[in-house]
This record gives sequence, C-alpha cells and structure tokens, in this order.
Amino acid sequence: MIHIFDGAMGTMFQQLGLLPTGYCPEMLNIDNPDAVTSVHKQYVDAGSTVIETNTFGASPLKLAHYGLSDRAREINIAAVKAAKAAGNNIKVAGSMGPTGRFIKPVGDLDFEDAYENYKVQATALADGGADYILIETSIDLQEMRAALLAAKEVTNLPVICQQSFSEDGRTVTGTDPQTFAITVDAMGADIIGVNCSLGPEQLLPVVKAISENTEKPISVQPNAGMPQLVNGKTTFPMGPEDFGEWAPKLLQAGATYLGGCCGTTPVHIAAIKKAIAGLEEPSFKPLRRRLMISSRSKTVTIDKDLPTRLIGERINPTGRKKLAAEIKNGSFLSVKKEAMDQVKAGASLLDVNMGVGGIDQAQAMKKAVTEISQLTDAPLVIDTSDATVLEAGLRAYPGRALINSVSAEKERLEKFIPLAKKYGAAILCLPLTDEGIPKTAEERIQVMDTIISAAKKAGLKDGDFLLDGLVMTVATDVNACNQTLKTLQLYREKYGYPSTMGLSNISFGLPNRPLINSTFFAMCLSAGLDAPIMNPYDDAMQNALMASMALLGKDPNGRDFSKKESNLAVAKTAAVAKHIELTPLEAVKQAVIDGDADSMAQLIENALATGVEPNELTEKCLTAAMNDIGVDFGAGRIFLPQVLLSAEAMRAAFNILKEKFPAQDGEGKGTVVLATVKGDVHDLGKNIVGALLENSGFKLIDLGKDVPAEEIVSSAIKNEADIVGLCALMTTTMTEIDEVIKQLKESGNTSKVIVGGAALTQDYADEAGADYYAQDAVIALNIANEIMDK
Amino acid sequence: MPIFNSPYFEIDKKETKRYAGLRNSDFDEEIIDDACELARLVIKPTGIWEIYDYDSKTQTVATTPPFKLQGNAIGKHLNGCTKVILLAATVGIDIENEITSLFKEGKYSLSLMLDAAATTAVEQNADLMEKAIKNHVSKQGYNMKWRFSPGYGDWPIEQQHEMLYMAKGDEIGISITESLMLEPRKSITAIIGLYIMEESCAFTSANRERHDCSQCNKLDCPARR
Repeated sequence: MIHIFDGAMGTMFQQLGLLPTGYCPEMLNIDNPDAVTSVHKQYVDAGSTVIETNTFGASPLKLAHYGLSDRAREINIAAVKAAKAAGNNIKVAGSMGPTGRFIKPVGDLDFEDAYENYKVQATALADGGADYILIETSIDLQEMRAALLAAKEVTNLPVICQQSFSEDGRTVTGTDPQTFAITVDAMGADIIGVNCSLGPEQLLPVVKAISENTEKPISVQPNAGMPQLVNGKTTFPMGPEDFGEWAPKLLQAGATYLGGCCGTTPVHIAAIKKAIAGLEEPSFKPLRRRLMISSRSKTVTIDKDLPTRLIGERINPTGRKKLAAEIKNGSFLSVKKEAMDQVKAGASLLDVNMGVGGIDQAQAMKKAVTEISQLTDAPLVIDTSDATVLEAGLRAYPGRALINSVSAEKERLEKFIPLAKKYGAAILCLPLTDEGIPKTAEERIQVMDTIISAAKKAGLKDGDFLLDGLVMTVATDVNACNQTLKTLQLYREKYGYPSTMGLSNISFGLPNRPLINSTFFAMCLSAGLDAPIMNPYDDAMQNALMASMALLGKDPNGRDFSKKESNLAVAKTAAVAKHIELTPLEAVKQAVIDGDADSMAQLIENALATGVEPNELTEKCLTAAMNDIGVDFGAGRIFLPQVLLSAEAMRAAFNILKEKFPAQDGEGKGTVVLATVKGDVHDLGKNIVGALLENSGFKLIDLGKDVPAEEIVSSAIKNEADIVGLCALMTTTMTEIDEVIKQLKESGNTSKVIVGGAALTQDYADEAGADYYAQDAVIALNIANEIMDK
Repeated sequence: MPIFNSPYFEIDKKETKRYAGLRNSDFDEEIIDDACELARLVIKPTGIWEIYDYDSKTQTVATTPPFKLQGNAIGKHLNGCTKVILLAATVGIDIENEITSLFKEGKYSLSLMLDAAATTAVEQNADLMEKAIKNHVSKQGYNMKWRFSPGYGDWPIEQQHEMLYMAKGDEIGISITESLMLEPRKSITAIIGLYIMEESCAFTSANRERHDCSQCNKLDCPARR
C-alpha cells in the first residue's frame, strides 16, 4: 500500500502569524488546537493519509528552552488530539525530533538522559492515541538508538525511523544510509526512511541505498529542492509540479511512504497524490540477508563471496599483564593503540574483551566501546561471558555490534539472545553445550541447530549469524583438524551463513607452531572460513591468507599477491641497483637527492671501497647534493618535505661516516647557536633549519624555544659561535629579536645574526640590525655556508 | 557552553599535503599515510561554542562584559549579522609532543607531515563542529558566515585573549601565552556570524562560504590556495 505523509507545518503557522518571537510552536497544541487542526486538515484535504503531530520539539529536553519541560506530556497528548480531529480515515504519526544536543562522547548529553527524554514523549504520544511513533530529522545515530529503544520500551506502536543526511551523503555525525538502515532494522524499526536536508533528486540515491539494505517499508519526505539564495533571502525553489514528478521515481526506488518537509505545502502534497494516482506498489525482490556489522560510520559485510575479513583479537587482557593493568587503572592507552594498530595491519573488525578480575567490567566495556569508536571506524565485537557486561557494551555502541559469543549453554541462550534482539546485534554462535564440546562435525551441527532455532524463535533472522568452527588441539585429538574442516563445509552447505574461529589452539603442544597454524589456516580458508579471529600482526598468517586468496580466486589471477613487495625477488636491492650506472660518488649524491636513507650504508661502503677519502665524500657528495637541492627548492621544483627527506639521507650518511671515522667528530664547518626567541612556542621551523645545518657539517647548539635573550647571548659567547640563528613566528614575538640583537651588540659579540620566521621580512630584519634575513630553511643554510666561506 | 568532540573522521591527505607545502608534487605516499594514521591515534579533537547576540553597528558581542570587535575586516564580514557564535577548538597536546620527539629522532619528514596532519585535523574538527552548529542554528532560521579568527585581515591578534576567554577555551584545555599564542599550538578560536534566512530549514546549504586565502596578507604562505 502507498501512503502519503503531509508537508511542512512551521512555515504555515508562521504565515498565519501564529508564532510570535519567543513562542514555543508546540504550545499551539494547547493554546490554539483549532488552528493546528485546520493546518492538518489542509493536508488531509490535499491527500495525506498519514499526518504528523505538531510535536517535533515537544520532548522534555527540547521544551526546556522555553521552561516547559514539565508540560511535555500534556502538550503531546493535546497534539495527537488536534491531529486526530483533522479527519476520520487518517493515521496519526507522533513526531519526535532531535534534542538539539549530542550524546556522549560527541557531546555532553548522557545516553540514559536522552532515553528517558524520549520515553516521556513516546508514552504521551501513545496515550494520546497516535498510530505510529515517528523519530525524525535525526542527525545522530546514537540519539536515534536512544529514541528507538525508548519507543519500543514504552509502546507497541510501529516505529518510523527517519534520519537526515547532508549533501555528502552522511549525517552530521558521519553515518551513511546503509549503516543507518541495517542498525535500526536490526533494532526493530518498522519503517525506515529519510526526511529534510535535501531535495527529492538528492534523496533518490539515499532511498535506493536504504532499500538495498532492508526489507522494511521505506518513507521519504524531501525538502522542496535545495535552498537557494534569491535577493539575499533563502528560498526553496521547487514548485509543486516538479516536486510531484519525483514521487513515482522515489516509489520505484523503494519508498512507499511519501511526503514533504521544509518548503513543501498542501499543494506539493496534492501534486504527489496526482503523480502516483493509479500506480501500483511496485513488487520488490526479496533481499538475500547477508551478515553486516557496523560502526557509526562504516558497515562491514561478511560473506562467502567477499574477501576474508580479519577479526583482530588483541584487545584482550588474558595473559597480558600490561594491558590488564591499564584497563584496571583506567588509562586504556594500549587498548586504543591496539585498536589503531590492528586496523592498520588489516583487521576489519575488532574484538573487545575486558576480562580483568576485580574491576567493574561493565563500566570498562562501556568505556572501551565508547573510546574505540571515536578512534576508528572498524565495527566492534563485544567479547564477554557476562550478560551485564554485554548489555553495557551493546547499549553504548553507536552501531550494530557482533556478540562473542552465544553457545547452546542454557544461560547464554536465555540471556544473550534477548539482548541481541533488543540492541540489534549479530551473534557469533559457538557449538558448545552445558555438557561440553561436541567432537564430530555432525554433533556440532546438531548443537548449532539448537542455537539458531532458539535465536530465530526470539526474532533473529538470516544475516544475524556468524558460526564458529570450533578448533581443538591436534596433539591430543588426532581428528581435530579434519573435524573442524568438515564442520566448516557443513555450515556452508546447510546454512549458507559465514563462519569464524580462533585458530591457534590447533597447534598447542607442538613445535614450530607458526608453521602448523598457517598451514591449518590455508586449509580452513579452502573449507570456507570467512572471518578468522586472529592476531593481525602475524606475518606467517598474513602470508598464508594472501597466498590462499590468490589460489582460491578471491584475488583474481593473484594480482594483489604480485604487487606485494615481499613476494618479489628483487625487492629493496632495486634501489641500490639503480645507482649502478653512476660512479660510486655520484651514487651517494643521488641517494641524498632522492632522500634514500636506506641505501646509504651500502653506497658509502661502495664509495670507500674505491679509495675515496671521507672528506671527498662530504664535499663532493653531501655538500654538493645539498647545493643541488637548494637550487631545486629555490626554483620551486621541490618542496620542504622533499628537502627533509634528503636531510634524513644526509643524516644517515654522516652517522655512518662518524662511526667509521670518529676523528672527524667535532670538526665542523662552523658553530651555530640557534633559538626560537622568548615568548614564542613554535619550533618546527627552527628545528628544520637546525637539521639542515647539522647535516651539512655545522656544529649546532640548539637552545630550543621560548629562550630569553640573556641565554642566547651567553651561549653565543661561551661557544664562540660563528653564527646566531633567531626564529620568531608571530608579529607579537618578533620584537624580541630586536632585544637579542641589541644585547649581542652590547656584549661585544661578533657572531653573524641570521633571522627568520613566518612574520618576518627583510625590512624588519634590517631595522632590527640583523646581518641576514632567511626566508626559508634552505636560504638559511646557503647564508650560513656563505658566511663560513668568507 | 556546548561541548563537541568530533566523532571519528579520517584525516584528509590532500589537505595534509597542502599544509606541508607540497603543492601538487609527488611525495612518498607511505610517509603521508603514516603521518595521517599516527595523527589519528594521538589527536583528541574537541571544541566548545556558544551563541551570543551581536550588534553590527557597534561591532559588539553581547557577552558579559560586552566584547567589542576591532578592525574593519571583521566588521565588514559580520555586517548584517544579528547573532554570532564564539568557538574554540583543539586537537590536544599529545600530538605536539609526538611531532617534537619524531624530529629529535631524526624522522624529519614524518615530523613535518605529522605537523601538517595535525593542522588538517584542527580544521576538520572545526568543520565538523560547524556542521553540527549549522544544523542547530538553521532550525532557528539562521544561516552562517564562514569562521573568522583574530589575526585575519586587520582584526588585531591582541583580541585573541578576549576571544579565548569568552569562548571558554580553558574548559577544553586551551591556554594563551603572554605573546598571544594558543597552547596547545594546534588550537583555534573563531567567530561565526549568523543572519536570518527567509525560510527556515534544518539543513540550509545554500551560500556555503569558506575560508578565503585572498583575505590573508601572508602572501608567501606555502599552503596558500
């Protein structure tokens, strides 16, 4: 059936002059319900079959702006009454808009406060007699979750969840349509949709994305086009005709609830009605429900047709003292580092286990889940055997998590499955019973049947399951490997659900465990393992995975495999090899120019072997290279980062030479005292100058940042500096340069002064009495060389 | 004073390259990737903001005590605005320590790229804040000007002190030195002008304005657009 929503209300109240400045629009439900009803009626007359109550801002938190929080219930009930009075055969959707605040950790609103807020509003709307609860214009998935949980908790009404997306296709807090759809679908939203923010043209792809990820009915309420600035006034450009024309397209894309938002009027709604007159509801193909897990801003699909997904196992304090201690003292530094590093190493999902004795694990899980989701977009797996810890993690998680794990043990079935249903989580199913571990594949399938049927009975569906193959130790059980492989095959044949497992148990008690593990891994991948739980830093396992992907056709023709450097025979030596046509001296120089520090040891070795003196090497290679680099930099052919890479290569070269010829140490070109002046805390620019000088053979005394004039002067005297380099970044600090120069002159010191920094100019340097002004680090180096050549 | 801690965002590599002064030249992508990933690990993006009434005739923000903005550029920029937002934002001190220690280890280029990634992150953090604020104020019928900071045009940097104080930057750990520098260094304060739209909507995206390099007198800025 096709339903027609209404359009904008606020603007109509405004046009009727019903909203004086500072007046709460929702108070109209009480002060002037007839006016509210008459606006509703205009929409009903235009063809709306579902109308929305005037309660967008009628939650207690939002009403607090007007000091009306305690009247929330009364306002919502009155609003439903005013809506129902607009017609007999219409449905009324009780509107719940955003609180206007963000939930922690993004903002300062507690999840539980948002939840309580919506409980009050949803209860009142239901008690007033609304037919739906409509959570709309939401820009924060976490707020949507709070409102949806609240609505489900206090009413039995169907819940419509409508999010708003910005032009970049994401909400303000980063959620994409797919992630939104699968998260709220799993949590029990009855109708899923989108409103506001964009016009129908921009919302068409959003509707499509939602329809590809849910079989629930879809609603769409666009604005009347993208707002435009006309004569300094913002207006919505789309007339009713044009607006109406989009309705059949939106219907075709999957939306069966159609309406309008900002800028739309009863005439727009009438145009929708006209445009879809006589159209049938299209028949939508059933979706194959695949396993999808999501964070706030990313969805990961695990499926037999897709590349293997690694679940990182490292956030687990079992047997790791340091990690356990950090979790205990609340620092969580290693937890966060493991999260980042595992994602970098290729983990698609992160397992989170807070199993430390003597702490409040529920609190720890909440904290871990919250902090990790601010740090990475990899979806999370809540790993615990305690239902309280599980619920704390699921409630705090702004997305759809995976539960690790649900077995056929009585307690898990009874407590974990309802939590999975309530919070829309997927479950990792482990074929264990209260009696123990079934040994054969056939027995495991029987146990799996028990778990899956219990879960389905509770409302879970295809796409909610990840099956564990269960790995035993081959040293004590000769059939361990074979049974696991067979289990994986049976899972795929019988259920078609993806599979997972931890692998390392297989090799327990055997020597050379890495070899056994990686070989076993390859076998399991062939038997159908989709998402191993493993240590993503393990090279042997990563190599086995890479080779298996090439062999199993998931890396077609081994393309990725062939690109990987470690699989190539020539590898790193190529860099040295390319210098072969050059003379040994030229090769060193070229390596500096290329910023190739890695080849330096070998190239210097080569050069010295031909009888080149270290001095010659410094002069003809290093200094000469720096000159070339300076020219290129000055001409704008290369930029600072490239210069610094060369400086790193120079540094490598000098370190090697120092090591080989310690006598050279200290014989610098000249001595430079370098400082960022007092009051200035910027030192990167000064450090860059220092690095170039030091790696060009100068003796560098770097006094750091925020250095008083007296200290600079005394250091210049003490070290018999040839050059004093002064840096100031801002107009507010560069005056200190004058002071340093003044004191230097008064002391009779004759060091040459070079000044530089973002705010400085040649004119300023001249007035301050500096000898030189260096616009950039390379010029500073050139000047220093010039001074010493004189 | 609402607090906004940006949800996860990926650090923009293109902007990182721009801030590092690389323009369009090629550079070791691995170093850029490493810097952006490392930055992600050590930044703590957060911000604080508040709306105040504004009188554009006298260039005065209705804080307590009132805050008179100096200079023609800011006056012109906020002309016609009836409210303003004062905001402060930072990515924290940890990344600064990381930049320094990497340089000391001789990883010059990574240190420089990390510094650029941190600058990028400050801006992205402020952009996300702005997006959230926009959503908030546009429901009240306002459109936003782009953010303007002390030191832009002829707005004297000396007002940084009042800006930080009025924006309550201290609540998110930003302080100011005697020479008017923000600490942590990777922090900003800014003012955003609000003006009435004819028709209100939660998401008006017309007239999206952004920082305009031509307003700045630092002509040799390596990141100038």
